[in-house]
Amino acid sequence: MTSDAAVRELFDEWAARLARGESPDPLAYLERAGPARDELARLMDAYLQAAPRPEPGAETLELARAWAAGASPLAELRARRGLRRADVVEAIVGGLGLAPEQAGAVRRYYHRLEAGLLDPAGLSRPLLDLLARTLEVAAGTILAWRARPLAAGPAFRTAEDRTMVKREALDDQEDDEEVRNLFLSGR
Amino acid sequence: MADARDAEDALLLQAGDHGGLVGAWYPVVLQRCLVRAGAAGWDVAHDVVERLLAELRRGKRYPVPYRVVVHMVTSWTLKEHFQGRRTDLPLPEGWDPADAADDLAGFERAFDLERLFEELPDGDRAVCRLRYLDGLEIEEIAARLRKTRNAVDQALHRAHGRLRELARDL
Repeated sequence: MTSDAAVRELFDEWAARLARGESPDPLAYLERAGPARDELARLMDAYLQAAPRPEPGAETLELARAWAAGASPLAELRARRGLRRADVVEAIVGGLGLAPEQAGAVRRYYHRLEAGLLDPAGLSRPLLDLLARTLEVAAGTILAWRARPLAAGPAFRTAEDRTMVKREALDDQEDDEEVRNLFLSGR
Repeated sequence: MADARDAEDALLLQAGDHGGLVGAWYPVVLQRCLVRAGAAGWDVAHDVVERLLAELRRGKRYPVPYRVVVHMVTSWTLKEHFQGRRTDLPLPEGWDPADAADDLAGFERAFDLERLFEELPDGDRAVCRLRYLDGLEIEEIAARLRKTRNAVDQALHRAHGRLRELARDL
């Protein structure tokens, strides 16, 4: 298959999935494009700017509203599923085969995640997948709607916020290493 | 040409539903940021929606459809990202999409899939709408339009060429 044909095929598949209301991972398509990655990226970007936006799901809108209001989207999701924070902690401990005595560390880290003090991008893949299953959402939703640490302030996290997030992580250096890796090692 | 969602955006804006408006656009912003910036796109997309929300909260109103604003702020933020500048700060005071684009009307004209399809032969237009706006499978399109699979492929090939011309201007 020529490079042009491969780009066309990848673009066509990605765009049709998007039009169906799916959330195809654009990075996976770009990866498959190999050396034609830039060409495919330009096409995808042009399409995204020209196509009507998809109809958002009710849950997406609710999460966005919670996020904009300064509430924790993760806590919002948890509440919508009728789960207590302890239930999620229990799911993590049980689902990832941790020892019962590690539940305290999990609780502390999860609390920080919900509060926006930990970046969800730092979650390990097994933990991200487990949270997605527990909260019944796509993993991308957890990554997308991170809580806003300065909810009452002018809309942005500042350099100080980012420092705070890093400091929070550093403070945990003496914490449970296995749990720390689950929350901070990234995917 | 008015986009199908422009009216919905205007209603959300009018109702002061800033979260709903930004949330409706987030999937598009995220896709654009991931396409252009790779994995860093997660952070850039977050900063884009923060900026959009901040502008809305400042009471900013725009003389253009909100989709134009979204794409201008996204492009601007991506540009800053590639320049190594911080994107986690509000937009500069007085930033306006009308200033950021040399030709807003041109943007609206060029970046409109329906308009792009209008330039295609009649037979191709329906194929493209069904594929790129409704997401139907090739076989479904062929059956619905009573065309061969090959004819559908050829129509998409021509549409792809048009989109490629548009992409060249990016």
